[in-house]
Amino acid sequence: MAKASEGMERFWRTFTVAPTVVIFLVLTALPIASLLVMSFHSVKWVQALPQWTYVGARNFQALPQDQLFRDGTANTLLFAAAAVTMQMILGFFLALASSKVARGTLVYRTIFILPILVPGIVIGAIWKLMYNYDFGVINQLTGLLGIAPHNWLGQKATALLSVIVVDCWHWTPFCFLLLLAGLESQPADVYEAAKVDGASPWGELLYITVPLMLPTIIVTLIFRLIVAFKVFDEVFLLTGGGPGTATEVISFTIYRRFFTEDRVGHGSAISIITLFVISTLIVLALGAARRRGREA
Amino acid sequence: MWRRQGFYGRGVVIGVVLALMGLAALALPGMATAQKVAPINIVINQSPWFGGFRGLVEAYEKQTGNKVSLDVHPFAGTLEKQRSSVREKEGQYDLLLLNGSFFVEFYAGGFMLPLNELDPSFQLDPQVATFDDTPWWDPNRKVVNRQTGKLMSVPINPNIPLLYYRKDLYDKAGLKVPKTFDELLANAKKLHNPPSTYGIVQRGGRELTSVTYDFFPYLIGHGGSIFKDEKAGDFTVTVNTPEAKKALDFYLQLAKEAGHPQTGAQNQAEVIQNLVTGKAAQVMLVIAAWAQVDDPTKSAVVGKIEFAVPPAALGHKPGPGIGHFLGAIPKNVPKDRQMAALAFLKWFQTREAQIIYTKAGSPPVRLDVLNDPELNQKRELRWMKPLAEGLLTARILWTVTEGAQVSTVLDLRLNQAVTGEMTSTAALNKSAEEIYNIVSKAGYKTGKLPDLK
Repeated sequence: MAKASEGMERFWRTFTVAPTVVIFLVLTALPIASLLVMSFHSVKWVQALPQWTYVGARNFQALPQDQLFRDGTANTLLFAAAAVTMQMILGFFLALASSKVARGTLVYRTIFILPILVPGIVIGAIWKLMYNYDFGVINQLTGLLGIAPHNWLGQKATALLSVIVVDCWHWTPFCFLLLLAGLESQPADVYEAAKVDGASPWGELLYITVPLMLPTIIVTLIFRLIVAFKVFDEVFLLTGGGPGTATEVISFTIYRRFFTEDRVGHGSAISIITLFVISTLIVLALGAARRRGREA
Repeated sequence: MWRRQGFYGRGVVIGVVLALMGLAALALPGMATAQKVAPINIVINQSPWFGGFRGLVEAYEKQTGNKVSLDVHPFAGTLEKQRSSVREKEGQYDLLLLNGSFFVEFYAGGFMLPLNELDPSFQLDPQVATFDDTPWWDPNRKVVNRQTGKLMSVPINPNIPLLYYRKDLYDKAGLKVPKTFDELLANAKKLHNPPSTYGIVQRGGRELTSVTYDFFPYLIGHGGSIFKDEKAGDFTVTVNTPEAKKALDFYLQLAKEAGHPQTGAQNQAEVIQNLVTGKAAQVMLVIAAWAQVDDPTKSAVVGKIEFAVPPAALGHKPGPGIGHFLGAIPKNVPKDRQMAALAFLKWFQTREAQIIYTKAGSPPVRLDVLNDPELNQKRELRWMKPLAEGLLTARILWTVTEGAQVSTVLDLRLNQAVTGEMTSTAALNKSAEEIYNIVSKAGYKTGKLPDLK
């Protein structure tokens, strides 16, 4: 009798979960499977019909020779590491400062989150004008200090850094919001106890706030890393990957190879590798978060 | 009696209606000949000549009563929309405006319908410019060729670069319009007074077909080329010849001695910006941008710009690169819509339509309109004569299906040369090697020259 009811329960569990599994397969797994299949083929159009040719691992083998892929990967890693680190630090200290302010919270929080609300295309237009060599406000301001105009987006030395600055402007509010929510949910009694024990503000931050905030910090970091690895619109609008390959990022390389050049096999191979790298990073980060959680 | 009067009355009414119809037919010749056809959908990019095309479509709808919808996208987005449409079972767009850099993939992929399969009597009007044979495609030899190919499209826009120069500055400095590259450099140097004025602003940025298109007139004008003889099916890569090196070295010299200090970051938008704000003394720019320089809401140099055919090296002909658009009909749309698209093309190539097109703000494709003495009297159309002249020697950039890949290579390597990341020799050798890999992999009859030293 007990066995029958257990079987019934298992059936209902499976039955109710099944639609979600089917939707997941159709929306997520199927496109990825299709991408994987494509990455082992070369597709040509003859008489308006696609001709699929199996090429084995040739598309993957060709990747190390693809300069855009190589430079795109290196730049993306650098971009993600630099941009996300800066955003996390800025976001954390802004959140910390904000959590101490009691008046006017609605106003400054609204102002802080404004950049996330601005569409990417508008951000590109605003910053492209600001960075403009001849007419940009940045060069006009530095000119007041007697500094010669600089081509922020056109010089190899500053192009990627300039894109990182725009990304920080765009995404620091996101980190700020998440970290602020984390800070505001910290238990007050721990801080009160620390005060009673005579903890300094610095000690409070280092030994109480940071350890308690670690799960929030890791979740925010993962969210930001995922988005940073996919950076496209800022590069597309500001630099087009140039000068040379100074701001080439992997999403832009995929776009160029897959869509502009119509090399779907090669583009799919880059996409699969990118997907694999990002997934690995997420798994590692989640593993670290879980370990930290257990230790806490 | 009453019946008789009624008969006369009806007769008068019928007579008046017929007379009015006759008058209307005389007044609107388009309406007299046009027949009502299915509505059509055209995908078009938001380019400087879009306003003129929209004006033309409005006139077509008014004259014929036929309906045309325009789906407007950015340049790169249009290519993807066109690809998606022709690869569907039934296409979304009935008329594709194919860009000069990418049209071959649509011809070679078998997506477009030869126009004579729709109407055996259809011909390209002899007055329409033929743009280096690009409306014709020979599917057997996979080349554009008027003699052996089938008519696939009607030229829609005649984009080639012209020299836009500041007449006021030229007059003040006592300069003559340059015919040779040396004269261009000398003029640019004389007018170069940074940061208020740059002698010339070049389009050296890495955007899609940006520096590649800008460099092309210098390459052809020095006797160079990308492939040896495409019309004859010889795709030997010739981008690293001594002529090509001379061309690139000159392009770099111009940038260094009289150009914008950041030539490597200038794309079309920045070049136009420098021109209309009065910062550029001269630029080489597609003719489609002419409307902006005379628009007082966008330009600080209204009436100060004159136009000329791009110069060439001594002993060579000018070689402006064709960046035109071709109107072609996809195979995968219903016959009634194909016929409607053809009706639009037939009307489009008439002299009357081309005059409307010009007045609406887009350069026409008919030579008799470009050379029309009455239109040439108009100050705002002062670019027409140089355009007609430039079209005589204009050349298509490439005619390979892999045009986008070739463009990616050249955009990167030329930009690296402009920004000083590579020498001109290294940039051309690397380009040649990479283009050779592309065309040999695609199965073209090709070859490679020894590396430049």
